Order: sequence, then structure tokens, then C-alpha cells
Amino acid sequence: MGKTVLIVDDHPSFRASARRMLEADGYEVVGEAADGTSAIDATRELQPDLVLLDIRLPDVDGFQVAERLAANGAAPAIVLTSSRERSDFGAELDAGPAHGFIPKSELTAEAIALLIR
Amino acid sequence: MRGLRRIQVGIAVAAVGLGVGVLLAVAGGQHNIHRGAYAALALGIGWGFTGTGLYAWRRWPASNIGPLMIAVGFAGLVKTLAFSNDSVIFTIGSLGEVLIYALLIHLLLSFPSGQLDSRVDRILVFIAYVNTIAVQFAAFVFTDPTAQGCSQCPANPLLIDHADGAAGVIGAAQLDIAVAVLGAVVAILYRRWRDSIPSQRRAFAPVLAVGSLTFLLLMSSLIVEQAGLPAGIDDGLTLALFGSLACLPFAFMVGLVRSRFSQAEAVSSLVARLGGGGGRGALRDALAEALGDPSVELAYWVPSQDAYVDADGQPMRVDPAPKGKIATAIEHEGRRVAAIVHDAGLAEEGDLVHAVGAAAALTLENERLDAELRAHVEQLRASRARIVTAGYAERRRLERDLHDGAQQRLMALGINLRMARNQVESDAQQAAALIDASLEELKKATAELRELARGIHPAALDGGLAAALGGLAGRSPVPVDLVEAPHERLPAPVESAVYFVVAEALTNVARYARANTASVTVARNNDHVHVQISDDGIGGADPARGSGLRGLSDRVAALDGRLELTSADGDGTTVRARIPCG
Repeated sequence: MGKTVLIVDDHPSFRASARRMLEADGYEVVGEAADGTSAIDATRELQPDLVLLDIRLPDVDGFQVAERLAANGAAPAIVLTSSRERSDFGAELDAGPAHGFIPKSELTAEAIALLIR
Repeated sequence: MRGLRRIQVGIAVAAVGLGVGVLLAVAGGQHNIHRGAYAALALGIGWGFTGTGLYAWRRWPASNIGPLMIAVGFAGLVKTLAFSNDSVIFTIGSLGEVLIYALLIHLLLSFPSGQLDSRVDRILVFIAYVNTIAVQFAAFVFTDPTAQGCSQCPANPLLIDHADGAAGVIGAAQLDIAVAVLGAVVAILYRRWRDSIPSQRRAFAPVLAVGSLTFLLLMSSLIVEQAGLPAGIDDGLTLALFGSLACLPFAFMVGLVRSRFSQAEAVSSLVARLGGGGGRGALRDALAEALGDPSVELAYWVPSQDAYVDADGQPMRVDPAPKGKIATAIEHEGRRVAAIVHDAGLAEEGDLVHAVGAAAALTLENERLDAELRAHVEQLRASRARIVTAGYAERRRLERDLHDGAQQRLMALGINLRMARNQVESDAQQAAALIDASLEELKKATAELRELARGIHPAALDGGLAAALGGLAGRSPVPVDLVEAPHERLPAPVESAVYFVVAEALTNVARYARANTASVTVARNNDHVHVQISDDGIGGADPARGSGLRGLSDRVAALDGRLELTSADGDGTTVRARIPCG
């Protein structure tokens, strides 16, 4: 049984592609969330091993969602992603509790595996 | 007007006749040792008030001041009939003996507006009339003058019963009421004088001073009468009171003359000051001084905005004027130039305000041109700020649309293609499915980018305005009749502005108008292009609501054009734009 994953992104087309990619690599996608608040609820309910978390969400941003997930204890591994580049965010990417950041243009199952191994 | 003059002449004749009658009545009367002095003073009061009242009535026909003064004059003459030996004339005089004081209270509390402005004023005047008419009558029917020690007085034909107690009680109550009312009136007159603006104070001072002195003497006389002090003191006070009363109409005259003099003086000093030039604010200061109202403000008329602005070109609300203020419009050569916003206390000095305004009209016109220029600069500044803000908001919207639309689809496309590449050898069928999904994403991304590009610069405009407008009309959910569109090319910024005006107007028709049809006409006429978009919907569109039309208005204004909206309830909406294109 592969690692369980929650995909958090407000764009359905991206969520569908990410699900297809992760499932092809043996991950079990246990849920999807379209905003930060439902991501926190889904994480509490589904207890995934990994949260693939978009930084730009319609309510709270991905950094805040990561902080709240980490504060809840027994936090899953968090991988941040965005359609923007690393340079657009600066030091904030390294300061939070997330395991790392992968731009959407470079997102692969291997890149995720490297970050959370 | 001729009728009014005839009435006034009749009043003058009646006053003279009544005065002669009073002289005869007093001369024949034997029950007052001071009757000669009283007769002279009575004529002074009666004719003085009637004469000045007639003058005031002719000068301010709309004011009650003149008629009230005339009424006081007649009451003063009637009062003196109480000295007659004839019992009927004596009775008329006795019944009307104190009416003059109620009329005086009415007159002074009405001064200068001619109206009783406050509820307290109206109550005091009502009490005064009741006290001098009803209570006086009640006391008189129980009064037997002979039994009260006036052996020379004629009999009282209205005497019901000589009930000394009843007459005493009623008389005492009448005195108490009179003293209380007079005290309140003096206090009000003092407060009114204190609160008046300097030019009013100068004109009103004699009236209010002599009026207050009269009432104080009357109060003293009543108190002395009540206290039963020696007759000598009472007579002395009464003579002083009559003297003061006789002076009062001339105090009114002095007030009027001062008012006229101060008007001429104000205008001449204003003209002298205006000749001396001065910077911004000098005109306002000069007008404030001329009107004796430091709170004067000037509002300049800007015809193109159909509104008043201050000297800085900022919008200024004049109608209605702020509380306690009145705006007097000033014209120059038949055109509205400005409004002087002044203290409401100057309402009765309309002649002064207009005279001062007329003297300053040319200078006001010059300052108006400055203010109009500043108003236009201010309008441009606000418009520019809105264009910058709208540009920033537009860039934000574009970034968001790109991020949320095409960019996400391209990201998904990238993931799918990477997966397809990995699977092309191991699972060709899965790879083909991924490529199909990618093509679908690509199609959607292309459509979104096309839509976005149309919002930045409509590609359809490359083929000319007529074609682009045809496309807009074709895409509108409400049937659109494209009545006319220019087939020649116009300057690119003009074509773009026309396109977006029509696009925004048709979007509003579809969203809000509940219209069955709409029509679009774009016609070039000499150096201008005229745009009109009309619908048969519910109307009632508010140009102030929403930023779409305002943004378009700014866009059109940036090309020196003008955008107008007509949208009466139930009568459809019409947007018109006129843009120079020469």
C-alpha cells in the first residue's frame, strides 16, 4: 500500500492531473480540497501521509495552512507547489514547516519522493 | 399696487382724522390733570407710528412690519380716547387702552423679519393679546370709574356689577401676566441684539434699545401701580413711558436710515477695496466686511458641471445652503456668476446683498474663471487618478485571469505530457489517453487566452470598427440592431474607446436592463464620432453605481470626449458618447 495523499488546489484541472500522476506512481490519493479551510478539515479527517499544497488558495494561503497543520500535531509531510517560481517567494519557502517546494512546471512523483524520503 | 397705495392714503387720512378726534376728546375731558401732555404724546405716538409704518410698508411691501407699526399708531390714538368725557368714547378708549402694548410686543418680536420665528415668540404674543383684550374686557365690566375715585370720569355703560373684589383680582392677574411677559420680551430682545451680526446690530440698535426701554418703563409703571405707590410716581413713570413710546417710531426711522446709509457705505467701501486688488481670498474678505458677516463664503458657478465650486475648484453645495445660511445668486450681464453664502440674518437685507453682489460682479466673474479652471484641473486630476487606479486593477485582473486560467491548464498539460513521455514505451494506450487529455487542456487554454486578448485589444478591430461592432452585436444575448457604423478607419485610440463603450453598454443591457432589443449607432460627423447605444428595458440605471461606466467616462474624457447616460425609470437606457476624431 502506497503513501496516502491529500491534494489541495483550487483548480480542478490541476487536481485531476496531479491525482493521475501520483496514482500512476503508487500513491493513494485519499482526498482533494479546493481551499485552505477545507484542507485543514480534510487533513484532520483523512490523516494523509502527504499533503500536496498549492500556495495560492482563495481563502488562506498555503503557508498559513501548513502552519496550522503543523500546529495540530501528528502533521503529515507537506509539499508546497505553485505555478510561480521559487524566486517569487524568497525565504518564506524555507521558514515554514513544509518539507519543501516544487514548482508546478517541474512537478513529478519522483521530485516529491525525493523531498519526503 | 395702485390699490395698495389707495389703502395707504386712506390709512393716512384716517390717522389724521382720528388724531383730531383724540385732540377734541382730550380737550373736552376733565379727568386727567396731564391731559395736554398726554394729548401731545398721543399724537406723537399715533402719527409717528402710522407715518413710519406707512413708509416701512411701501419700502418692504411683503413684510408685516409696516402694517404692525400702523396698528400700533392707531392703538396709541385709541388709547387716548379714555380721556374723553363721553361715556361711549371713554369705553372704547378704556377697552383699547392696553392693546398697544400687545401690538408693540408683536412688532418688536417680529423685527426685522416681520415674522414670529420661534414658538416662544408666538406664545408670548398670544398671551399678550389675550391679556390686553379678553382680560381687559373682563376687568372693565366689573369696574365703576366713579366708585374708584375718578369723580370726573363718565359712567361705564358695560358695567355689570361694581364688584371691587372681582375687578381687583382680575386686574392684579392682568398686571402679573403683563410683568412676566414684558420681562421675557426684554430678555429675548437683548439676546437677539447680542446674537446679531454687526451690520444688523448697527441698524437695529436704536429700535431694540428704545423698545426695551419702553417695556422696562411699562414694567416699572405696572409694578408701581401694583404696589400702590404715590400717584406722583405713577404719573411720572406714565409720562416717561409715553415719551419713550413717542420716540419709538423715530427709532425705527433711524434704524431704516442707518440701514440705507450702511448699504451705500458698504457698496462704496467695497468698490474702493476691490480697486486695490489683492490676492486670493481678498474678494471674500471684502464682501464679508461689506456685509458685516465674517462667515461669508463664495461659490462660483461652473456651467459645464452645472454646479458650484469653491475658490479651489472643489464642489460646493449651495442649495440647500448649510444650516443658518442663505445663498444669494449673483448675475453678471444676465449670466449666473456666483452665489454669496451668508448668514440667514441678512435675509431681510436682500437689497444690501444684491447691491454688494452687483458691485463685485465683475471681480466675481474674474474669480469665477479662475475657480472654473481649478475645477477642471481638479476634475482632470481625479480622472487621471482613476485611470491609474483602473489600470492597476486591470493589470491585477489580467494576472489573476492568466494565473487561474491558461496558466493552470498549461501546468496540467505539462504534468500530463511528462507522464505520457514516461509511459509511451511501457503503456502506449495510457500515454495516448494522456496526450488526448493534454490536447483538450491545450484547446481550453487557447480559448481562454483568446478571450483574454480580446479584453486587452480586440483583434476584431484590426478589420475595422464596423466589423468589430458587428461581432459584439452578434455575441450579445439581447438582439442588437447595428444601425450605423463607420466603414472608414478612425484613429486607433478612438476606435478602441468606441468599441469598449459599446461592449460595456451591451454587457449592461444583457445584465441589468431586462430589454427585448437594443440598437447601436456610431456615426462620424465632421471632427467627432457620435456613439449611441439604446435599449427598451426598465431604465433606472445609476451612473454613480459601479465602476464600468465611470471607467469608460474617464477613457472617453482622456480623448477630450464626453459620455452621457439617460435612464429614466421604465423608459429604457441610452448611453451617448461624443469623441473628437479629427
